[in-house]
Amino acid sequence: MTNAEMPRVGAREKVTGAARYGADHTPPGVAYAMPVVATVGKGRITRLDTTAAEAVSGVLLVLSHLDDLGIVPAGYIMAGGYAFQSLQPLLDDRVAYRGQPIALVVADTLVAAAEAAGLVRAVYEEEPFAVELDAAGTETVLQEEALPLPFLADVVVGDADGAYERSPLRVDAVYEAGPQHQVPMELIGGVAEWRGDTLVVHEGSQSVGALRGGLARQLGLDPDRVEVIAPYVGGGFGQKNSLQPHLAPLAVAARRLGRPVKLVLPRADTFHAASFRPVSRHRVRLGADRSGRLLAAIHEVDQQASRHDLLPASYTEITSRLYDIRNFRGRQRHVRTDVQTPGYMRAPFEHPAAFALESAVDELAHAAGRDPVELRLANDAVKDPVTGKPFSSRHLAACLRRGAELFGWAGRSPDPCSMRAADGTPVGWGVAAGAYPAMTVPVLARVRAGADGGVLVEAGGHEMGQGMTSALVSAVAQDLGIGAGSVRAVVGDTRVAPHHLTAGAWGTHSTLLAVHAALRELRERLGVPPEGPVDVAAAVAATGEREVVTEAVTRGPGQPPEAVDRMRAGLVAPDGPDYPDHVAFSFVAHFVEVRVEPAAPRVRVSRVVSVADCGRVASPVTADAQVRGAVVWGIGAALSEHSEVDPRFGGFLNADLADYVIPVNADVGAIEVDFIGEPDLTLNPMGVKTLGEVALVGVAPAIANAVFHATGRRPRRLPIRIEDLL
Amino acid sequence: MRPFAYAVPATLDEALRALSEAGPGAKLLAGGTTLYDLMKLDVETPPAVVDIRALPELAGVDTAGASELSFGAGAPMADVAADPVLRRDYPALAESLAKAASQQLRNVATVGGNLLQRTRCPYFRGGLAFPCNKRRPGSGCAAIGGLDRGHALLGGSDACIATYPGDWAVALIAFDAILDVAGPRGSRTLPLAGLHVEPGDRPDREHTLAWDEIVTRIRVPVTAAGRGSTYHKVRDRESYAFALASAAVAVTLGAGGTVEECRVAVGGVATRPWRCHEAERELVGAVLDRGSARRAGETAFAEARPGRQNAFRIELGVRTVAEALRIAGERAER
Ligand SMILES: Cc1cc2nc3c(=O)[nH]c(=O)nc-3n(C[C@H](O)[C@H](O)[C@H](O)COP(=O)(O)OP(=O)(O)OC[C@H]3O[C@@H](n4cnc5c(N)ncnc54)[C@H](O)[C@@H]3O)c2cc1C
Ligand code: SF4
Repeated sequence: MTNAEMPRVGAREKVTGAARYGADHTPPGVAYAMPVVATVGKGRITRLDTTAAEAVSGVLLVLSHLDDLGIVPAGYIMAGGYAFQSLQPLLDDRVAYRGQPIALVVADTLVAAAEAAGLVRAVYEEEPFAVELDAAGTETVLQEEALPLPFLADVVVGDADGAYERSPLRVDAVYEAGPQHQVPMELIGGVAEWRGDTLVVHEGSQSVGALRGGLARQLGLDPDRVEVIAPYVGGGFGQKNSLQPHLAPLAVAARRLGRPVKLVLPRADTFHAASFRPVSRHRVRLGADRSGRLLAAIHEVDQQASRHDLLPASYTEITSRLYDIRNFRGRQRHVRTDVQTPGYMRAPFEHPAAFALESAVDELAHAAGRDPVELRLANDAVKDPVTGKPFSSRHLAACLRRGAELFGWAGRSPDPCSMRAADGTPVGWGVAAGAYPAMTVPVLARVRAGADGGVLVEAGGHEMGQGMTSALVSAVAQDLGIGAGSVRAVVGDTRVAPHHLTAGAWGTHSTLLAVHAALRELRERLGVPPEGPVDVAAAVAATGEREVVTEAVTRGPGQPPEAVDRMRAGLVAPDGPDYPDHVAFSFVAHFVEVRVEPAAPRVRVSRVVSVADCGRVASPVTADAQVRGAVVWGIGAALSEHSEVDPRFGGFLNADLADYVIPVNADVGAIEVDFIGEPDLTLNPMGVKTLGEVALVGVAPAIANAVFHATGRRPRRLPIRIEDLL
Repeated sequence: MRPFAYAVPATLDEALRALSEAGPGAKLLAGGTTLYDLMKLDVETPPAVVDIRALPELAGVDTAGASELSFGAGAPMADVAADPVLRRDYPALAESLAKAASQQLRNVATVGGNLLQRTRCPYFRGGLAFPCNKRRPGSGCAAIGGLDRGHALLGGSDACIATYPGDWAVALIAFDAILDVAGPRGSRTLPLAGLHVEPGDRPDREHTLAWDEIVTRIRVPVTAAGRGSTYHKVRDRESYAFALASAAVAVTLGAGGTVEECRVAVGGVATRPWRCHEAERELVGAVLDRGSARRAGETAFAEARPGRQNAFRIELGVRTVAEALRIAGERAER
């Protein structure tokens, strides 16, 4: 079986239902928890009446701030902590946002817990609140000043304002996107269980290490007394990238009751219980010469924040580098509102940033009268305009050229409203590019070669459907020249290795890097050549041992050893994309055809071609799926997904899968995926860059640009709905 | 969800008895796709549930009758949507079901239960913290002045602007459907047009069935206009979404494309299934073309009262009616 033919690891288990996700774990004697959430936008709880709830038959416990839970906050993930936000509910009477948990009911059955949760009554002293960017009562802060860290400073290159003023061609427009929610299929939830003094947690998570470290801090435990197990994650997309505030109270309840406690949040609660993509507003100014050669860009962003935390923004990281722009000025601000802390959702900054920049570039191409692919090629960069360093690899031009060819771009008629389908439906073709940083994190990997010829990989990493285990199995099988059936990979389990957060698309190549190193050492221990097929059974037998085990810890090229300590503690420690000798990004180009239904006018995406430069493709099956999935995400982000906010009430109103509109199969046209496939051996010895995030970057602006081409109307706010084109 | 008593009677008589004995507040259960959903949201809190899904008296579909079509209230939406005669002779009826919900929901949901689904107004569903006259009479209406993108343009009141979300009833009202209703005081018939009521100052009252009555069958008089019909539905995504605007339209055309018979109803835009008699009257005798189709749409929405976000659905509704007339006209035999 070749690498390309290897099926996805775990596919059979998932299809047949054998795969066990976090909350599927149902130990004997398990009790069920259900949260009660605040129904005001902000304020204080003046009275909490739990008598009726406690009277429900089967109710065991009601936890709230009236009780001393004996826990401390776990700290914000981006400020030396572990949690998605600094605020830990249930510790005081404060309500910071609508939907914040105010009590946790535990009962013998789920039905009793749910009934009792509905009977908890709270009386509030309400306070004014603000949930929209323009609302009275928000507070705007400059990122540079509020988060004075070098890598969060505004990107400034040359004299953007002067060069812009002097440019003969100028574009000045404001774009807006979000808020949105990740809505993975797997709900947020888990099971907390004490085995003696050890807390065992089963919960779908992209960061079992953060759960371990965070729970240890919250409960005052030695981290060795916390085990977190998440062999499968049913989609994370950033929502499960840190400790959620339900878990410590769940552990407290389990300890008090002396039995395991399970909590699965109702879908509506997940809209307030974890992070989301904040609304962001972008003013983009582009200056160019008459041919469309970019002379200056100014990108100013306002991003929604909570009152209690600031999500460090890096929108300008890619907008300053997608093209060879010698004069660039970025400015990122935070607008504090009364919500839970927003966070990372697939291509968190890059998707909205690309929507803004790549729409503006399309506006520029139109103004310059140049083909948008040609204009992009003419502005390609050979070295990083921000640092002056080389790119580890950059094949954006190849992505654009190959995509144009596969799509048939040469047949495009340039003028808006000039293309029609056979039945007269207006057709539009649009293009956009994307980039995403290739970061690297510290990973520990262990390889166990058995006398039976089997190889077991135990590594820091998470399988959330993106294909981490497939990539590991495939890499080991290829390296040793053995069948994929002889290789097994265990990830998402603090019992086998410390774990860094898997996000930012750094997971696969960072873990592969450690596995690669462990394999080199294995070969040495087995006394086999550094390359070529290995008869594992024979080689292990020759050592006289039943099993040969090697371990490696790797980190990013510029990282100090302390980064490994942070990883071991479950804290974040990404390296890059600005490495000592180069900068590293993945690139992508998307080509989109839309049809705008004449009567409605509803945008239909009939065809997409996406070509990615992600270095060597680590696992063809799952890589292809990643890009397809990202295109579907982009269709949702561009045309339908929007978390609705009623400023009079706060919170998010369309908090279910009927009203939060993700695309269905029938909304997705033909998708063609291709890869440049050039290994990036400057970045790492496997030549692998990142893919999972870059694949989404640029889909939305390609759709928006196609809408402009079809209708002559320029969408500047996502999602683009019927009312915007009517 | 609260605990409730659960009964599975074997016959219609037993069901009626079980319902009467359980008393007001008891609920009938068919597919459960509305009822259980609303019970989980604490909107419905019946102490007792009577399961009528498998009652023999509610089963069966007959689309071959000489004078009428007959649908057992317990027939699954999916079965009726796939009925070959219906698809050929009354595409509007079949399409209204096929374009509703998702395949999984249609497999369990019934054509009787479908009529009595409740509004998707997010404030109504969102919990007691929102003012909602439908859920808590007298508490106000959060949708008025709020997020009303999906709310009704027709038939609303100062107390409530909740949209009736169903598709099937919109197609049925266009075809003058009649309901057979069984109750402890005997059986009666009820035109579908008399089932749903506008909110007025009592938004909690949505229909005219008594709590102890059961819809047994839905009957539709045979008409040649069925062939020239369509249910045109515009929604934010292609499946698993309620209508932003829909139109059930049926026509027969005479010489030169003049409209002879005509039925127009609109959905997703009104507080109940909405028949547009005025638009029909205007069309009869006129040549069906773009102009007359558009005018019919404009007439259908002449009384529309927009709120904050939903005004666009007036123009959308007008175009939806016009587009439905175009499709129906193409299907109509000349
Ligand atoms: C996510 C989602 C999307 C949906 N999308 C659509 C859509 O696009 N278009 C659409 O039209 N519908 C849609 N629906 C609604 C769905 O079609 C209805 O829920 C379904 O048809 C109800 O049928 P049921 O048999 O499940 O009814 P139940 O839930 O069992 O009952 C509904 C109500 O009717 C009463 N009832 C049931 N049968 C009878 C009877 N014989 N006599 C008297 N009273 C009775 C019940 O007491 C209850 O009050 C959607 C539903 C969901 C959950
Ligand atoms: S529109 Fe009707 S259902 Fe919605 S909040 Fe107002 S009263 Fe309630």
